[in-house]
Amino acid sequence: MTRTLYHKSGVNYMSSPLRQWNQSESNLLMNRLFVKKSLTICIAGLLLLPAIIAYPVFAQGKSAPAASEAGKALYIDKCAHCHGVEGAGDGSAAENLLPRPRDFTSGLYKIRSTESGNLPTDQDLFEVISKGMPGSSMPAWEGLLSEDERWSLVAHIKTYFEDFEGASPRVIDLSGKVPYSEESVAKGKEFYAKLGCVECHGALGRGDGTSAPDLTDHWEFLTWPANMEHSWNYRGGSATEDIFKRFIGGISGSPMPAFVSSFRVGLTDAEAERITELEAKDEMTEEEETEYAELEEKAIYYEDIMLDIEEGKEVTADDLIKFDEAMKPIFEKSWHLANYVKSLGSEGRPPAAVGDKVLRSQYRLGDLPGLNDAAWGEIEEASYFPLVGQVVIEPRQFNPSIDSVTAKSFYNDSEVAFLFQWDDRTKTLPQEDDETGVTVEDAITVQFPVKVPKSPTDPKPYFIWGDGRRPVYLWHWKIAEADKISEMNAKGIDNASVQESQSQIQVGGVYEDGRYRLWVKRALKTEDKNDLQFEPGTFIPIAFSVWDGANGDVKSKRAISTWYTFVLDPVPSNKRFVYPPLVALISVGFLYGLRGGVKRRVNTNST
Amino acid sequence: MMKRLSLFTRCLILFVVIWLFLRFFIGGVWSVPLPASVIAMYIGLILIAIIVHVSVEDDRFREFLRPVKETLADDEKKIRRMVLGVLIPLALLGFTFSKVSTKADPPAALRTAHPAPPDELTYRDKVIGPTQEVENPFRHLEKDDVEAFKAHAENGRRVYYQNCFYCHGDDLDGEGHFAHGLNPLPANFQDPGIIPNFQESFFFWRISKGGPGLPPAATPWDSAMPVWEDYLTEEEIWDVIIFLSEYTGYKPRTFGEAAH
Repeated sequence: MTRTLYHKSGVNYMSSPLRQWNQSESNLLMNRLFVKKSLTICIAGLLLLPAIIAYPVFAQGKSAPAASEAGKALYIDKCAHCHGVEGAGDGSAAENLLPRPRDFTSGLYKIRSTESGNLPTDQDLFEVISKGMPGSSMPAWEGLLSEDERWSLVAHIKTYFEDFEGASPRVIDLSGKVPYSEESVAKGKEFYAKLGCVECHGALGRGDGTSAPDLTDHWEFLTWPANMEHSWNYRGGSATEDIFKRFIGGISGSPMPAFVSSFRVGLTDAEAERITELEAKDEMTEEEETEYAELEEKAIYYEDIMLDIEEGKEVTADDLIKFDEAMKPIFEKSWHLANYVKSLGSEGRPPAAVGDKVLRSQYRLGDLPGLNDAAWGEIEEASYFPLVGQVVIEPRQFNPSIDSVTAKSFYNDSEVAFLFQWDDRTKTLPQEDDETGVTVEDAITVQFPVKVPKSPTDPKPYFIWGDGRRPVYLWHWKIAEADKISEMNAKGIDNASVQESQSQIQVGGVYEDGRYRLWVKRALKTEDKNDLQFEPGTFIPIAFSVWDGANGDVKSKRAISTWYTFVLDPVPSNKRFVYPPLVALISVGFLYGLRGGVKRRVNTNST
Repeated sequence: MMKRLSLFTRCLILFVVIWLFLRFFIGGVWSVPLPASVIAMYIGLILIAIIVHVSVEDDRFREFLRPVKETLADDEKKIRRMVLGVLIPLALLGFTFSKVSTKADPPAALRTAHPAPPDELTYRDKVIGPTQEVENPFRHLEKDDVEAFKAHAENGRRVYYQNCFYCHGDDLDGEGHFAHGLNPLPANFQDPGIIPNFQESFFFWRISKGGPGLPPAATPWDSAMPVWEDYLTEEEIWDVIIFLSEYTGYKPRTFGEAAH
């Protein structure tokens, strides 16, 4: 039965290139995600994909003017170097960019306010040009080009895909918005687990699902599922409405499917569950056969409406109302899920660890906390060190997958402990890279100078692993030997060596839910003159290199930070309980003396 | 009828208003916050001016000190005396406490952003000529062969978007997608203080030798600018300099013009 249905839909899908994509691409993903659990839900879902297309909601917002020569000239000047002269996403800069610049000739647009399989509205294109796409190399043009100029670009971009002509994409209905509440978030969390979001985005939403390493887009370029904690990187914005639109519309060209594909329209949750359960049975009793047939009839009823709508056939008003009703719970669930995803993210990229955000190691009496101690929670805000690709020395990394490292630190009279954390979507044990054949693995290096500069004008070592005159002191940790740190010295990226005498350094490293946590503890002072000596109150330069094996990071190809500083915050001096009262006391004395003096003079004058 | 404010109160109000103006209006609403030392300097001048003003005549000085004396000695001002006698020591207590217990500030970044180039301009090990004299070998095409000049600018565009825009930005405004992780920040070529103030040979030097080629005053260890002579040909570097000026509309300084 399911097979016939699938076939039926297959024919239908072939009717337009857009739909064709939806089938092939989403189908692949669907297979990966849901087949194991429920083949039928997934196939039925595919069937229903085009259904919401028929929603009678019309495009809103402004429309683009007619394409003009001026728009074309502007495109050539501002856009063509990435998006290509012919709009195929193949400009001269494209090769080193991930995500790749959009190929306008495909008609596949990620950021839309329109339903699955639809083209974007003019307003959508205008918004993306204006706001840019965070987390990619697409900048926001609103401060750089006038409104008219941006609209002329919209008009020009549309000329690369002929279906734009006469298209009236159906806009997603946002009227049923469910306000943000704990309850809604809890419901969304449930759907998050149930609908297979976990498979790509991971249990806690850090983009570390089991499918994450193998995802490619429509053009077969590597693509990573979003890390929902780093919501400032959402290409289409991180407002709840933005997130909701991605669920309903999907992200065209990427493996992110439209939400509706996970449902059987028209069946209640219980009914959908039951039909899946029955389908999984090898043999059904007579009663079950009847039950199955009834459920199926109901499902097919809605599927038929959808197909009719899609084919442009007449649909009775009665059917349409029923269908709208059947879609409502799906939209509602999407809002809950959107609220949940919103709850995972933060307001924006945290400020870097400079100025008042600088990393301060806090003094502590007695033992320092270990990897899993709750004491780390006493430091509310971890210091944030942004990372970028190392593009100075070959081999270079133009598309780093690790965004940042955070750090907390405590010290006592004899030791210092650090807790470093960074998000990595994949745990990569040493393995051969598919492309290059070299062994890659996840690793990190924490870098300090061997000699701490005395003043701000004193030379530091070169920020990428030092230089001939000024070596750096490195803590190198790799996933294959998670309980060990190698102390190294480097005088340049190709001139690093492991120290012969290793200091006693305690280490604990774990990978959990898309996040590495590395705990390091060392004595403040060592005997080795090639080690950094930690001195409370001194600002010490610190920098990081992080390798993500799954992203092809190896040797100098890595994510790096520039120099930051940190300090073992001096124990607050007891002077603060002595001087202020002393000053107050003296001032009282002074005032009293002054009064005496004045009084005497007044008395003398008056006598 | 309201009593006219005493000279002392008027001076006090003037002093406070000027301080608020410097601290919050000039340094905040109107511009970036002023350094504490600058504010201290101005406030010091104001204080001297006030003292000079009130002490120029004996009568005026007496009038100025009258409320102070009254507060200290007059039996009718007992309440005011008590209140101030508590408040002043308390304020001093708080001020000293906050001064003693603030944490040390991280060292300020002291850096010369645009140091003087070396006397001799080189590409890899090849000497091109004295930096003050070398011109962009393709600049003359701007007059002599417009098409050829355009071709160089176009090649410069390609070079820029293949190599530079990660940091210096799509619009050459220093806001590339790597910029947030860099310190010092990438140069902003749209800033009118950049291109018009330097000769093309200066840009050639900065591009070809990158961060590591900077003198110590410009903290070469912090700069993420690659040594582009490792990746680009001499012509590509000259071309990208042409592109920088063509795109932004700013002309590099030519010889003979004085630096500003």
